[in-house]
Amino acid sequence: MTTVAPRPETDAAPRRGTHADTAPHQRTSPLSRVGGYLGLLLVVVLVALPLYWILVTALKERPDIYTVPVTWLPDPFTSDNFQAVGTGVSFTDYLRNSIIITTVLTVVEVTLGVLSAFALSFLRFPGRTLVLLFVIASLMVPNQVTVISNYALVAQLGWRNTFTGIIVPLAGVAFGTFLMRNHFLSLPKEIIEAAEMDATGPVKMLWRVVLPMSWPTLIAFTLITIVNEWNQYLWPLLMADDSSTAPLPVGLAQLQDTAGLTNWGPVMAGTVITMLPILVIFLLLQRHMIKGLTAGAVKG
Amino acid sequence: MTELDRRRFLQLTGITLTAAGLAACAGTGSSEDAGEDGPVESLTMWSNHPGESKPVETELLDAFTAETGIAVKLVTAGATYEEVAQKFNAALSGGELPDLVVASDVTWFNFALNEAITPMNDLWSAADLDVDGYVESLVSDYEFDGKNYALPYARSTPLFYYNKQMWAAAGLPDRGPETWAEFAEWAPRLASANPGIPPLALPDGSNYLDWHFQGMIWTFGGAYSDEWTPTFTSPESLEAGQYLQDQFKQGHLAINNDPNSVFGAGQAASLLQSTGSLGGLSETAGFDFGTAFLPGPPPGCPTGGAGLAIPQRISDERKEKAMELLAFLTNTENTITFTQATGYMPVRKDAVDDPATQTFLEERPNARTALEQLDVTQSQDYARVFLPGGGARIGAALDRITIGGEDVQTVFGELEEESTTVFERDIEPKL
Amino acid sequence: MSAAPVTAPVPVPPSEGPTRVRRSANPPGNRRRDLLIAAAFLVPNLVLLAVFTYRPLLDNIRLSFTSWNISSPTASFIGFDNYVEWFTSDSSRQVLWNTVVFTGSAVIGTMVLGLVLALLLDQKLFGRNAVRSLVFAPFVLAGAAVGVAFQFVFDPTFGLVQDLLARMGIDAPQFYQDPDWALFMVTVTYIWKNLGYTFVIYLAALQARRVELDEAAEIDAASTWTKFRQVTWPQLRPATFFLLITVLLNSFQVFDVISVMTRGGPLGNGTTTMVYQIYQETFVNQRAGYGATVATIMFLALLVITLVQVRVMERGRES
Repeated sequence: MTTVAPRPETDAAPRRGTHADTAPHQRTSPLSRVGGYLGLLLVVVLVALPLYWILVTALKERPDIYTVPVTWLPDPFTSDNFQAVGTGVSFTDYLRNSIIITTVLTVVEVTLGVLSAFALSFLRFPGRTLVLLFVIASLMVPNQVTVISNYALVAQLGWRNTFTGIIVPLAGVAFGTFLMRNHFLSLPKEIIEAAEMDATGPVKMLWRVVLPMSWPTLIAFTLITIVNEWNQYLWPLLMADDSSTAPLPVGLAQLQDTAGLTNWGPVMAGTVITMLPILVIFLLLQRHMIKGLTAGAVKG
Repeated sequence: MTELDRRRFLQLTGITLTAAGLAACAGTGSSEDAGEDGPVESLTMWSNHPGESKPVETELLDAFTAETGIAVKLVTAGATYEEVAQKFNAALSGGELPDLVVASDVTWFNFALNEAITPMNDLWSAADLDVDGYVESLVSDYEFDGKNYALPYARSTPLFYYNKQMWAAAGLPDRGPETWAEFAEWAPRLASANPGIPPLALPDGSNYLDWHFQGMIWTFGGAYSDEWTPTFTSPESLEAGQYLQDQFKQGHLAINNDPNSVFGAGQAASLLQSTGSLGGLSETAGFDFGTAFLPGPPPGCPTGGAGLAIPQRISDERKEKAMELLAFLTNTENTITFTQATGYMPVRKDAVDDPATQTFLEERPNARTALEQLDVTQSQDYARVFLPGGGARIGAALDRITIGGEDVQTVFGELEEESTTVFERDIEPKL
Repeated sequence: MSAAPVTAPVPVPPSEGPTRVRRSANPPGNRRRDLLIAAAFLVPNLVLLAVFTYRPLLDNIRLSFTSWNISSPTASFIGFDNYVEWFTSDSSRQVLWNTVVFTGSAVIGTMVLGLVLALLLDQKLFGRNAVRSLVFAPFVLAGAAVGVAFQFVFDPTFGLVQDLLARMGIDAPQFYQDPDWALFMVTVTYIWKNLGYTFVIYLAALQARRVELDEAAEIDAASTWTKFRQVTWPQLRPATFFLLITVLLNSFQVFDVISVMTRGGPLGNGTTTMVYQIYQETFVNQRAGYGATVATIMFLALLVITLVQVRVMERGRES
């Protein structure tokens, strides 16, 4: 586990790691546990109801969608809407494109974000504050402002209707840099200082000391990045011309009939299908938001 | 005033751009094809597939390829006409232009005014297009200053839908009201026979109430504008506004964000909506409904929907081929195919008379109403479709006099002023 | 861009000052190494931001001084006319008000609820993982689906709210037609959709906190509230500051929920916020120059707000 001899954080680490398994809250009174469950129930109801409507609409036949009074259960259940999504749209192509775009962007953004944040937190160089401000201020430019100008540039580069053209302009990372820097600065000083005493190289320090203490935040960063890139609509719509590059949200846009009466069943089915992979990723990753901490601290 | 070149901005601020690349782009449009000197081998069409028309569009384009050997790429350029316009605007800033693009009643004019789409009249003669075969009112919708900038494609009009059961319950004849005055007489009977159900459902100002009111204002002798001069404050226009407000106050009409669904769920006795909703409502509604002309006198009904346009900044060869494709898509046979698949109006007269259409209509009397109403439709007023943001501006005013309960004269007076300002600022200098 | 040293307490000059950059003990040779590594780490990201965010922004600022039709190849210079128009127009006052009300409610709503949920789901409760996914799920949804789903919540004919109120004999408010209720409706929808964001950040911060402090508090048998206030909350402060800034920036730029649900209406501007106005002016009214002006004003306003926030944040970190 170690090449750097004294590891001050090993003192703290196991104790930090205990959190996940033996959370202090376990010892709370039965009363507050009941309160917890009641709160949980309320959350489930409030958050789940609109989600339930999306799901149930996807399973309804068309006349069943708008009725008074509303019907809580599809009668009959139908999977036609899902089939409509599968047959009317080059679904697998769009799915593949979404996966490519999201994967590349997430890897690039998380890497760039962590590196940038590390430089802004632990390395000393002139103008550091200005650089940070430069990064944060880019969050203030809405994409309605950037798209036309970027379109002209990307078209000149000959990147239209290519993955490069869709990905590169989206790859700069401001939110994640800010998030990770914020987290790095909150790390316990004594551990960072000890690592520096060892004259650990920056790369080694990042990899061996900083990151192992940052899994929960890093996972949050990753999740939010995945969600944002998975749902990109306006930019890919402008860039992509066909199913060779267009991601799911653009591909599914053709299900909406804006001139007449949109048949919401297939649209909702498309929404459900689009959402599912991300929820699975969330389920997988959110566990590591806890476990990762323990493992990281021990291995670190 | 200094004329600043828009592209110069891009050059100045761009980090890697070469002037040559930009200049080249300005003239040719499609950089992929810029190098092609030979015959046009492929075309690109941008569409939002109105009326869930992607399958039928694909089918027609394949047929074109089979006939001419020219491949056509169909691009989903957005879910709405607005998104298609946005993508087209982006392309105008220096990208690859399509050869054929869908443009709605409110988006084409700005493209024409800024020379982004080409006048077609010369192309027609080159392609031997039989313009007289198209429904005249639909062709003249795209005419400005003696030139035509598009041909009709996915065209619709408003239509009066009514719930036959509720009509019967109120003891009304099986037809729509012939005049808005008659509607005012019928409405109380409908309301008392169907308690809790509004006699007529209309969309709100964010959902194109301004389109439906266009017909209504005509029947009172008013108009949004006379060419470029707004006429919102003429006595007739004010009377129409007052009528709308009174009917709303009396509960004769309900203004709703989604009147289609309200009517389809049996929660309104009648509905003003696009003919494009006919297919959807037939599938959705669990009751018998009829369709009728919009109330008059005479039936006040504007045209709407979308046409197909050809960009200005593509090569002449491409324009000619694009025209060929456009003519193919709207020939008699294909018009019938497209109409039957989507429920849009046939844009050609001979398509209407064709036996295939007649058989189709026999089975669908509601579609026949929509088609017959075409004879009495008129092109919309400039203040709605040519003035930038006209629809939204009028819609907001109609919201204010109905759900906002504001004074009609005041609101229409402000509307007139705003429209004049917009015309003088954004349009007049370009004419 | 302002060159003001926003975070005064952070020592920018490499050579002096008591420092939170804990490398002061290192030999000077390391400083050059730091600079090189920092450059290697930062430059790719900064170049991307410069080319694809700041270049368009500069373009946008120039265009804000022009009259430019989005479809036209030329723009004419008109000086400050657009700015004068925005600052003197009645509709901008309403747009600004809508934006402030919306942003304020969204920031408070998502942060308070996100924190409460994170605290709740940080505990060991049965079904915790499923509920965590549930809370996160709306954040994953596309805007169009949210608009439709919430029609079934707020619609005066089909809506759940209408149904519940009717059972109690109360008439439902006209969510789509009364501007105040419409703004309420889009705000609630936005909060619902974006709760997952604050929730995940808070949850991560809770997971990363120092448990030994909690345990100390346990031993002291402090009350839950005291424990939260004295032990947990101070550790959540960085996440809170981060969220204050990013949620504000995000909600200030809300677009899709409004575009899907109300298109900025009713009564024209009922729910029009600044970014919706930018869209409306640029692409619907075809006044791209004026749209660019609104965007520039918005950028400057956000810059000032954020500078104040950052200053407060750095001060809080000092103490």
